[in-house]
Amino acid sequence: MTEQPQDLATRFEPKELAVIGADPQVFAAKFNPSGKLLAAGGFDGRVRLWDLATEAPQELPALTAHDGWVQALAFSRDGQRLYTADSWGKLCAWDANDGKPELAWSLNEAHDGWLRDLDVNADGTRIVTCGRDQVVRIWAAVDGAPLLELQGHKTDVYSVRFHPEKQLIASGDDRGIVKLWGATDGQLVREFDASLLYLEHRLQDVGGVRTLAIDRAGKRLAVGGTIPKNGATVQGTPSVLLFNFETAELTHTLNFGASTHCFVHEIILHDEGFVMAVTSGTPGQGQVIFQLPDEETPFYTTTKLLNCHSINLHGPTGRIAIVTTNRGSNGNGRRLAENGEYEGNNSPIHLLQFAEAASS
Amino acid sequence: MNTSLCKPWEHQLSRRQLLGTTTGAAVAAVGLGPLLQPVIAEELKKKQKQVLFVWLDGGMSQLESWDPKPNTQFGGPFRAIPTSVPGIHISELLPKSARQMHHLAVIRSLCTQDNSHSAGVARIQRGDPKDRGVTYPYFGSAVAKLLGPGESKLPPYVWIKPGSGGFKHTDAGFLGPKFGALAFGDGQPPENLLLHKSITEQADDERDQLRRAANRRYAAKRRKQVTEANSYVFEMARTLMKRQDLFDTTKLDPSDVERYGTHEIGRHMLQARKMLEAGVTFVKVNSYGWDTHGDNFNGHASLVPKFDQAFAAIVEDLAERGMMENVLVIAMSEFGRTPRINGHIGRDHWPEAWSLAMGGCGVREGITVGKTNEKGTFVATDEHDIGHIFHTWFRALGIDSTDIEYDNGGQPLPIAHDDMHVIEELLA
Repeated sequence: MTEQPQDLATRFEPKELAVIGADPQVFAAKFNPSGKLLAAGGFDGRVRLWDLATEAPQELPALTAHDGWVQALAFSRDGQRLYTADSWGKLCAWDANDGKPELAWSLNEAHDGWLRDLDVNADGTRIVTCGRDQVVRIWAAVDGAPLLELQGHKTDVYSVRFHPEKQLIASGDDRGIVKLWGATDGQLVREFDASLLYLEHRLQDVGGVRTLAIDRAGKRLAVGGTIPKNGATVQGTPSVLLFNFETAELTHTLNFGASTHCFVHEIILHDEGFVMAVTSGTPGQGQVIFQLPDEETPFYTTTKLLNCHSINLHGPTGRIAIVTTNRGSNGNGRRLAENGEYEGNNSPIHLLQFAEAASS
Repeated sequence: MNTSLCKPWEHQLSRRQLLGTTTGAAVAAVGLGPLLQPVIAEELKKKQKQVLFVWLDGGMSQLESWDPKPNTQFGGPFRAIPTSVPGIHISELLPKSARQMHHLAVIRSLCTQDNSHSAGVARIQRGDPKDRGVTYPYFGSAVAKLLGPGESKLPPYVWIKPGSGGFKHTDAGFLGPKFGALAFGDGQPPENLLLHKSITEQADDERDQLRRAANRRYAAKRRKQVTEANSYVFEMARTLMKRQDLFDTTKLDPSDVERYGTHEIGRHMLQARKMLEAGVTFVKVNSYGWDTHGDNFNGHASLVPKFDQAFAAIVEDLAERGMMENVLVIAMSEFGRTPRINGHIGRDHWPEAWSLAMGGCGVREGITVGKTNEKGTFVATDEHDIGHIFHTWFRALGIDSTDIEYDNGGQPLPIAHDDMHVIEELLA
């Protein structure tokens, strides 16, 4: 029997555990499989690490092999490897080494330019990456040897995911096209039409597939982004499109609020059947949303976290990490700190926990 | 390429030829009337200087274009790439312009006054002179006034823009409406430009004589400035009626179309080349949608390469045709964008330290002028305001901005900010 939204709200309303200050800004933060380590990729090219086994999170020495931005990172399921990628096209594999990661191998030119996303397959043998060079590539996890190159996208490829069980890969581009590929033969299996998330506005290609998620059963594909209204200062309705994985049929379009909220940046399809999503738009606007697909409204939402760029769930403990941006992050012209310095922004990382887990 | 078009340098009339041509004298009278130094202006006219002014409305990020700061706190995700000039690097989003860098100069020391669009667009394009209680002309109107239409007799200030067209008289400020911009919406000619098939050339001439007679009677009872503008615009329309080839896209070389890009700015830039080849004095190409407070990096990843394609193509073509000697090429916005990256992964308005690119007309090639500090937050060398740039542009066009003045109904007005000066290192 499907659980009622109010029951889900009671069980899954998150409680805040701690806020980690990440300065300068970071993108996505991920728990390692034990939940004792948090890694986040930064605007400054560093991979930041926090020890969560201590009473309060303790920052560990950062990993410094990258250039540009580190936007994509993922742990293998066994927790032995951390993979990180940067906007200059470099892919790195780090041996976890008991909380003191060491570089196992790296590829300086895994992609030509911005490497936007990566994923590790279920058994940890393969890595898939995608980037601004319009290509999807598959690598051997053990040593970074190239295995397959998937060509067919005609524009930037923003997001990529392995199927949790089958040898399949989904990749989504900036025109709202999601392609499903065979992970071993590179054959195109089918396409999903998420072009609702794309707009050509004036000279700009706006929107696209900003994030992908596949549920654990492998039956549902979620595509996140915005239904764009305009380019430049992008505005649009933050949205999640749910597809039947087998038929590519669009089954649900979930719209999450006003156009100032803009992008759904990351999605988790929870085993209990609800969608977890975070949004970020106009500075100061951000939402955390939990919603059952067949319901009209979320059973949980908050706008207290500003500009949410990523969400990660540590299943066994029900812990959640959400990367946000500080208050007052925008403004035209010269604005200096009291000491006369020109300051950047930072990324409070909110550590939360599901209510039922927190109370147990 | 359509090789049948006349080129400006094929029309280098002698002074005697020019003054001996009734129409030429009439055009000169219309275009240069209130200058304090008409003889100097006449000399300028002979040189056939022209301007290509590419306006990226909303504010292109200097960090994602001409002044990258890779691997710094505010540097963003993109790499810097080498250019055709050793030692000069620009953003990886400008690969084609990088190959034309030896024709260009980049100014990285702009520090201007306004961080709002409403004030910034006008202040920048008017040169932000001292406030004397008058509305100064946009650069296009100023050039139309100071250089006139040249031998082509085509409208001296045309504006190729997205959206609608029409005659934009407000650009002209105190110069009066006739120095406004003739805007071609989406590059299209004004409506009903074609002579109706039922009207013969002879009938059209007779109608025109009748119109002129009626105009004279109408003008006798009205303010000169208004009637003069009406007549001026009508004459421009008649000139354009004979130059429908300027709008005929069917004869474009397909390889040019591909090279410039089939997107809006590519099409418009290719048309700008035709306009310059035909002798139009000032051609403005406008692109909207650069105000990337949100999703700046994906926005610039989409926008800048299209600008790059079109801009590099026209610079290459102008250089190949020898036109860079006489065409001042400028690409700019009303300001740059903040180094600080906001919560919408955007950059806000930043007039404190930004860049523009220019070339041609005696501008030194393959140089950068000024620099910003390591993080790109502020100018580390001498700051340059738009007034300095206006003085420099005028000098490049052969106009001495310290000597020539406007005559606004007896009020002498400097053509550029009194307290600013030419950036000497920009000029050969």
